[in-house]
Formats: sequence, structure tokens, C-alpha cells
Amino acid sequence: MEILSVRDVVKVFGDVRAVDGVSFTVRSGTITGLLGRNGAGKTTTIRMITGIFFPDSGVIDWGRDDQRNFRDRIGYLPEERGLYKQMNVVELLLFLAEIKGRRGADVRRSIDRWLERFELGEKRGAKVEELSKGNQQKVQLIGTLLHDPELIILDEPQSGLDPVNMVLVRNLLRDLKNEGRTILLSTHMMGEAEKMADDIVLIHRGKVVLDGTLEQVRASFGKNTLHIDFEGDGAFLGELPTVKHATIVSNSAEIALDEGADPQRILEAAVGRLRIRRFELASPSLEEIFIGKVGADTLQEVA
Amino acid sequence: MNKMLAVLKREYLAGVRKKIFIVMTLLFPLFLGGAFSIPIFMMGRGLGAKNVAVIDGSGQLRTTYATPDEISKAAGGAAGSMHVEYVDAKSGPDVDAASKPYLDRLIDDRNRQKLDAVLVVPASALDSSDAELKFYSRSAADIITQERLVSMTNRGIHAHRLALRGIDEKEATKLLASANVKSVQLSKTGEEKKGGGGNLIAGLLLTGLFMFPSFIYGLEIMRGIIQEKNDRVVEVLVSSMTPRQLLTGKILGTALIGLTQVAAWLLIASIAAAYGGAMLAAGGLNLLQFLRPSMFAYFVVFFILAYLTYVCIYAIAGAACNSDKEAQQLIAPITMIMMLPWFLVGVLITNPDSSLAVGFSMAPVFGPMTMFLRTLVADPPLWHIAVSVAVSLATIALFFRVTAKIFQVGILSYGKRPTIPELWRWLKVA
Repeated sequence: MEILSVRDVVKVFGDVRAVDGVSFTVRSGTITGLLGRNGAGKTTTIRMITGIFFPDSGVIDWGRDDQRNFRDRIGYLPEERGLYKQMNVVELLLFLAEIKGRRGADVRRSIDRWLERFELGEKRGAKVEELSKGNQQKVQLIGTLLHDPELIILDEPQSGLDPVNMVLVRNLLRDLKNEGRTILLSTHMMGEAEKMADDIVLIHRGKVVLDGTLEQVRASFGKNTLHIDFEGDGAFLGELPTVKHATIVSNSAEIALDEGADPQRILEAAVGRLRIRRFELASPSLEEIFIGKVGADTLQEVA
Repeated sequence: MNKMLAVLKREYLAGVRKKIFIVMTLLFPLFLGGAFSIPIFMMGRGLGAKNVAVIDGSGQLRTTYATPDEISKAAGGAAGSMHVEYVDAKSGPDVDAASKPYLDRLIDDRNRQKLDAVLVVPASALDSSDAELKFYSRSAADIITQERLVSMTNRGIHAHRLALRGIDEKEATKLLASANVKSVQLSKTGEEKKGGGGNLIAGLLLTGLFMFPSFIYGLEIMRGIIQEKNDRVVEVLVSSMTPRQLLTGKILGTALIGLTQVAAWLLIASIAAAYGGAMLAAGGLNLLQFLRPSMFAYFVVFFILAYLTYVCIYAIAGAACNSDKEAQQLIAPITMIMMLPWFLVGVLITNPDSSLAVGFSMAPVFGPMTMFLRTLVADPPLWHIAVSVAVSLATIALFFRVTAKIFQVGILSYGKRPTIPELWRWLKVA
């Protein structure tokens, strides 16, 4: 069942078509990854969904089975975080719930539960400015979830987090999904999206260049990608014949092959010069798919 | 509505808990009280016991200074006494020479018999109409002593001149008695209004109150809006409510803080006034007979209108700018324009029914303050007041819309301050 469907949405700022006819749907109980590099139009799309911007044209359709105002049905964690620093944690959370139309004893109970879950129980009376940055992010995340939103929208939830908190967020998203919640996750980190998303929507320069379930997307690109782990200098791998494109990071490489190429030739060439630890023919990673889709010219832009 | 109230409540509580609020609430009346009581205290000292010397070249005026003068009688004796050291300089060679040692005592701070003033009466004072009295003092501001001493002396001179023409002293006193003045202000219907002077002073004080809270809390809301944009809290807020709800809550919340403060000030003032009034009542004076209750009713109405108008103007500046500095540059000239009625207060209160005053009182922004001034000193027709209130309400409603629109577009715009044409475009687009 679809919670949200975005149809042919356009937003123009001056001469820039920031979002240029984007359409996709979010299925209930799934994590949808909204992917693309910085500036692709993800945040603008999200701001139209959250009602901050009106689309110049197109429709944001919330269905009709829930009579609540759409603003109350979403929990939104913006990319640029911000909280009232002078308020104490509980007051702030009560306020955030109140502007979503929720108040009373069950909100207080819910706050207690969430604070325990994030190990912030002792900080409940502290001022926000006294918390560490990581804890402030947790508080904002609680504020996003407190009113039991039908759709949780997270814009780059992992930006600025240390590895420990990154895992924490990843686990939280998995838990939320297991609880049956629906999440729209915007990120430029393809690897993270690959670990979590059920559906993906790939945006480039304001347009959707690819969408579908993760499985479909990967299957459609076939098993023509080599994943090689090795010891030695693997720079030459990219120069080999039949290699369409290679991403080489110190001791591992992901190599996209030309149509009909024989992976065996690559193995033969590599064995003589490198110590091979892994050699696997598999589906391409999202990163590879992305690069394959929008062209290598964006590599520089991504970097 | 509930969301707006949530924002209002948050703004209000955050505001009244700030140190600046508590400090301002307590310190301002103290400051104002000081500003008023210090000059009064100084004047009181001016009215206190004075040592003066009169060097009388005519030698005829000794009896003049023997009785207390009328000014100190009028002040109920509270003004303090004046001790006059009379010197008959008629027999001496020359008045100026005779006054020399007394002038020395005026200058010499260490002299135990220090004088506060010296009055020199020339020998010709009784005969010549262009004789000159000379009043010496250390303080140019000691006008009260000068006034008292000179009027005493003149009465003495007049009495003597009359005596020389055969009018006896009792008769002369009757002839010279001056009539008291009681000033009465009439309303349009011909009724007497209660004491004009007291109302005017209290009214001007209240008019001053139009500005301080407006400017303080105007700046506060301007900073609040800018800070919210910079902290990006706003993105969470406007994804939860409309910009209109957010702004209404913010502006009304901040407005309430200012009103709380003014209410606290008025409370402190009325406690002080009740205390002072009780003191005066004990002395036989009823303070309330000088003050019109209608003045306070007008004050509340026009203060709220002025306050909301000013605060909205600051809110617009806050919505249009990205930093405090930019906003202050933008708001400085606007503030000067907003204060125009205050700069023109002299003209407005002396000509409260002139076309300038009437025009100002019904104009947006200037209306509330000017209209309040007019109600103080004159009796403007009710329809003037109604038009003024209506114009102000319309202005405030318009400002709310403009602020909300600029805010909505401006919130998520980065970079430099928008130019006027850009602002205009925002207004049309949003």
C-alpha cells in the first residue's frame, strides 16, 4: 500500500530547475532510499513533501485514509539540525510533540521510553546546549519520532555522526522498519542506503534516473561486476582490455566489464601481478550503478 | 490554533525566564524613579534653608525681611526657610564696597558662615525706576532662591514707594496682594477636566512607555527570527505548521512578554503612586483628583496597537535579513521614521487639532502614539479615535501577512540580504 505518491513535481529557483518532474511512491512499511549526490534535488523534493515549499507544478498525494493534517502525519529530521538550545530536554520534546498536535500524559510516557532507549534518561532535565553534539542529534531524532508519525522523513541522518552513532542510527532504522513504520531516507551515502533500503529512487540534476526495489535495480544490471580484493599495486586493473570502468580503493577494486567480456581474462592478468584474496562476480553496488547511470563525468563532481 | 498557542507559550516562557526580562522589569522603574526623584531632591535642597545677605544701600528695607515670604507660606512651609542677614549700607561709603566681605563669604567654601547668595540693593532703589538689583550666587540654577528674594525685595520697595505717597502699610499690603491662578481645562461639552498639568506629565511619561518596550522587544523578536533561521529550527517548525501560525505565535508571544513587563511597571508605579498618594493625602492633597481614569484606558488601547505595529516592523526586518548586523542597518532608519510623532511631540500637543496632528493620528504606524497625545491634551471626536484604531488594526493585519510571506520565502534563502525589488518579488510569489 502506498502512503505517499509524488507525481511530476517541479520546483524552479531562478534559472535553476532544482526539481524537474520527479515522481515516485513510498510503500507502507518499507524504507525508501532517496539517493543522489549533494545538490541533486533531494532536499528540495523533501521540502515540498513536508510543506515547506509549494511545488511550482505537480502533486504530492497523501491518499485519503488518514484524516489528519499531512503535517501531523510526518516526522521530519532536516539535514541541518537545529534545536532551541536554552530549553531543557523534556520541555523541548513536549513542545515538538505539541506542534504535531500531541500532548498529555501519553506523550510524557513516550518521552520517557525514548529517552531510556537512547540512554538519555539522566539528561532529561539538562539544557540542550549542555548536551554533546551526538546527544543533541539523538534528542532531535526523538522529537522526530515522538508523535508516532505515519511517515518518517530523514534527510542525511548519518551526516556528522561518528561510526558508533552511525551504527546506532542504522539499527534504529531497522528496528523502526520491523515495527512496521515507513521511512523515507535521503542520503548521498550509497553504501548505507544499500544496507537499509527496500526501494530506491535515484535523483540526478532534478530528475529521477532510476527507481524500483533494490533487488530489481540490481538484477537489471546483471552479474557483470567483479569484486576483487588483493595485495599489491592494482592501478593497472583499470587499463586492462574489456574493462569498462574500475573503482580502485587501496586493496580492493570494483570493475565493470564490457558486454560479453570474459572475467577469466581479468583473473589471468591479475594473478601474475597481485596476490588475490577474493575474486567474485556479482551484481554491481549502488555506487557502481549510480556511476554507470549518470556517467563518469560526475565522478569529479562527487569528489 | 493549538500549534500557534504552543509557539506562543514557548516564546513567552522562554522570554520571561531570561535574565534581561527580570533585570529590565525591576531596574527600569528604579532608573525612572531615580531620574525623577533626583532632580526633585536637588530642587528640594534648593528650597532648603538658605543663608543669604542683603546689602541695602537705601537702608529702608529692614522690615521687609522680618516676616516669612508668601512663597514659603504657599509651599506649606515645607520648602524650608531662608535666613536673611540684613546689612544697612546707607551710612557706608558705597554699596559695592560694603558688599565686598559678603561676596568673599559667598566664594569661600571653608567659611563656617558661608553664604548661598548675596543681593545688593542700590541706594537709588526706592526713588529711581531704573535702579538695578544685583543677585550674586554660586549656582546659576538657584532660580528659586533668586525668585523668592527678589520678589520679597520688590514688594518691600513697592510698599515703601506707596508709603512715600502717603498710603499706610496695611493699605499697601492689600493693594499689593496678588491673585492666585487655578488652571482649568475644558472638554468639548464644556465640562471641567481634572487638573491639566498633572495629566500632561503623566501622559508624556506613558507616551515614553510606548517606545521602550516596543524597541526592546522589537529587537528581541527580530533577533529571534534571525536566530531561528540560522539555527534551522525553523525547518522543523514550518514542516509542522503554516508560516502564518508560526509567526502569529512568535509575535504574540513576544508581544505578551512586553505587555507583562509594562503591566509590571504600571503595577510598581501604582504602588509607588498609592504610597505617595497616601503621604499626600495625609498632608491634605488627593492625587486622584489630578488624574483622569480615561487616560489609562486610552493608554492601554493605543499602547497595544502601537506595540503590535512596531513589533511587526521589526519582525519584517528579521524575516528579510540573515544576520543581526544587516537587520540593524535596515531597521535604524525605519526606527527614526517610526519615532516621528515623538520628535514632533511639542508641535502635536500645542496644536492637537491641527491638520498635521489629525493626519498623523489617523495614519498607519504614527497613529496610536499621536492619537494618544491628542486625547491627552484635547478632546478629539470619537470618530477620529475609531478611524485611528481601525487603521492601526488594518496595518497590523497587513504587516502580519507581509511578514509571513517574506518569512516563508526568506526562511530558507541563504546568502546576502535581499534587495527591495527582490523583497517585492517575494511578496508577489509567495
